[in-house]
Amino acid sequence: MTVKIERGQIVTVERGKRTARRLPGMGLLDGMAVVWKHWAGSFRKNQGFNDIHGVFTYEYPEERPKLPEAYRNMPILLYDDETSHELCTSCFQCERICPPQVIHMTQAKDPATGKPVPAVAEFVIEYDACMSCGFCAEVCPFDAIKMDHEFELSTADHQKLTVFKEQLNRPISYYERIAPTMWAEVRDGAMKKLQGNIKRRPDVIGMAPNLAEKIAARRRELEAAAAAATAPAAPAAAPAEGRKLTPEEKAAKLAAIKAANAAKKAGDTVEPPVAPAGAAPADEKAARLAAIRAKNAARKGEAPDAPPVVAGEPAGEAPPADEKAARLAAIRAKNAARKAAEGSDGAPVEANVAATEPAAAPPAAGAATSAAEAATAPADEKAARLAAIRAKNAARKAAGGGSDAAAPTTTGNVDSGGPGASDDAALS
Amino acid sequence: MNTGKLAFPMPLPAGVGTPSAPGGLEGQTSQEKPVRISVRRSRVDGCSTKDPAMFKTEELQINIGPQHPSTHGVFRMLVTVDGETIIDLKPVFGYLHRNHEQIAEQNTYLQNMPYTDRLDYFNSMANNQAYAMAVEKLAGIEVPERAEYIRVLMVELTRILNHAGALGFLINDMGMWQTQLAFGMREREKILDLFEMASGARMMCNYFRFGGVVRDLPPEFMPKLKELLVAMPAFVDELERLLRENEILMQRAEGIGILPKELALAYSVTGPVLRGSGVPYDIRKAEPYSVYDRFDFDVPVGSVGDVYDRFLVRIEEMRQSKRIIEQIVEQLPDARGGHINPRARQNVRPPVGDAYARIESPKGELGFYLVSDGSPRPYRYKVRAPSFINLTPLGDMCRGYKVADVVVILGSIDIVMGEVDR
Repeated sequence: MTVKIERGQIVTVERGKRTARRLPGMGLLDGMAVVWKHWAGSFRKNQGFNDIHGVFTYEYPEERPKLPEAYRNMPILLYDDETSHELCTSCFQCERICPPQVIHMTQAKDPATGKPVPAVAEFVIEYDACMSCGFCAEVCPFDAIKMDHEFELSTADHQKLTVFKEQLNRPISYYERIAPTMWAEVRDGAMKKLQGNIKRRPDVIGMAPNLAEKIAARRRELEAAAAAATAPAAPAAAPAEGRKLTPEEKAAKLAAIKAANAAKKAGDTVEPPVAPAGAAPADEKAARLAAIRAKNAARKGEAPDAPPVVAGEPAGEAPPADEKAARLAAIRAKNAARKAAEGSDGAPVEANVAATEPAAAPPAAGAATSAAEAATAPADEKAARLAAIRAKNAARKAAGGGSDAAAPTTTGNVDSGGPGASDDAALS
Repeated sequence: MNTGKLAFPMPLPAGVGTPSAPGGLEGQTSQEKPVRISVRRSRVDGCSTKDPAMFKTEELQINIGPQHPSTHGVFRMLVTVDGETIIDLKPVFGYLHRNHEQIAEQNTYLQNMPYTDRLDYFNSMANNQAYAMAVEKLAGIEVPERAEYIRVLMVELTRILNHAGALGFLINDMGMWQTQLAFGMREREKILDLFEMASGARMMCNYFRFGGVVRDLPPEFMPKLKELLVAMPAFVDELERLLRENEILMQRAEGIGILPKELALAYSVTGPVLRGSGVPYDIRKAEPYSVYDRFDFDVPVGSVGDVYDRFLVRIEEMRQSKRIIEQIVEQLPDARGGHINPRARQNVRPPVGDAYARIESPKGELGFYLVSDGSPRPYRYKVRAPSFINLTPLGDMCRGYKVADVVVILGSIDIVMGEVDR
């Protein structure tokens, strides 16, 4: 019996036996046939979603289901494989959104200044009360917290289910393995944000605590860098035994950005009173170009046309090409910054020169970075960082002292500043 | 035994066994089949034999539950029996009470979404939809077309898996231990695999967000769904063949637990229980929400209102759900818009007001009533849970039947204690 309604009908379900002449017990036999069919099917494997017979179970501990990428069980924290820096910046978004309120964290503080740093000091998740909703992973603006696929969490020790940062930390490569496309969607943004945050993290803050030897190496490097800042001969001494932290490319980029920032700052602050109005964009362009050139030179790794004019090197073996290039770049950046401060008219000329130089670079850049990693890397990075510091100093000086700051007077900068100036003069 | 006497606890309404739909079901009317109604002895004399002194019996109060495998959770039935016959039954619930509504009033709107999964843990997608609809109504959030289709798709899959499970448990309660349950669970597992693909979890999906769903369907979802749809008719047909004409099942189900139409309406029963009683009430048709007005599907109703009718209605509903999903598969590629409204904020702060949104959950009308005072947390959060309301007439449904029937009647209501107690 049916009644028509809009887009369908009301159907009264048919009760009981459909055929009146059926023998009693036929329904039971029919059912038995179904059961029999399933029994017969149990000797083969289920073929898939379109098959309703066959064994469809997994022999679990030996045979494991392939979990879909979106699968979520418990949250984990990611850290960068290369730098071992954690992606988390302790923004408290996950702590705030967590429905059962099981995420707790404290923000890291700079021990020197006492100011908060975009890094997390301690991070606790109570796995026993976590409801695996995945909100924390959804809200995280830095993609630092992700949902794990690990589901065998049973333990006899309840305390183990309060999980601290060391147990929560997973490398990005781990997450990339379990969820490749989901990570690919967010990778670029996450890594960019991470680079920005590393800059604001002093010392070893924000590094995964379970990577003790990496941190130790980083500590040694920082010490060496500190020593190098006071005595410039130090970087070319015996290379530190620790492994390399970042590829020199990244460090050089950092140096270039710093130099550019410094130059821009110098231009902004000093230019209006000194320079004529028309020259301002050109100056800024020149500074930026210099920064780009510095980056390119550093990436080039071994710049064949880079003149070996860097003084202050130890008399022994020749310094690595990377280091030389990076230092040169920094010098150039410094000079550009100084020029920007002075508002000199030579800037466009220099810009032209700068523009031609990257074009002349041999395409060996990419290979060189990976090849030159092992031995020379720490020295390179150190040199690049040193160069960046110097460039910044020079720029600051230029900004502070006006046009007469061209003459480098600081003891730390004398050796590299002098030849740099002559180099710049030669270029322009 | 005073077998001749027919004493139904309530006067049998005229509607029982008669057509419910206005079109008339006269030809159908249960084929004048004698509805088995158990004998109930009078409470007053306590004995129905000729010699009262000889067979004097007493009423006995016993508890079925709260820890009993047939009660589908922690649920107690305070049963007054006279021999094997149920004289009175009081459902006692609250053992699983976990302060859901109070917790929800201290959470933000979004934080409640995973909590709604835990209400009716068989149908987390349906719960999500009802809640998301309530908040969207309250905050005025629009949902893109594609998101609506994905939502309906998920809820209809939920309906299939719920009925596959519920029928399995019903048959389990009847004593056909695990056979149908295993068959049903296998289909359910496939659907759960799909849910896992899309949402990341099998049961606690937490898939819906205000203004859409959390992420779009993965590329491998649709091929799998189409495969599943190929298998679905075979599964339902097999289930029907296994049980529909099974003499044992018919003896346990026919004429048992009759819920008359008027009584069902008086108790505000909804869902397959109400439709089994012959009331063609389906919110998807009565008040089409989401995109249900774009699909052709039928509303199956029963004619007697017993366990057997509820069983048959559920089987038919699985077929209709499959029909809806097929139409979604056809229409989905054309659906415009993304999976979520990009302008919809998840940390909503709705204006002062209240909203009630309801959906046809697999168990009945699931509604969320929200009152906002303008803060990010609901001022009042009320769940109209179908399991809870459908459970209330249990006493009237069981009165007069045997103790063994109680289990079957309870199984036919299809309750989930997580939703009853909240």
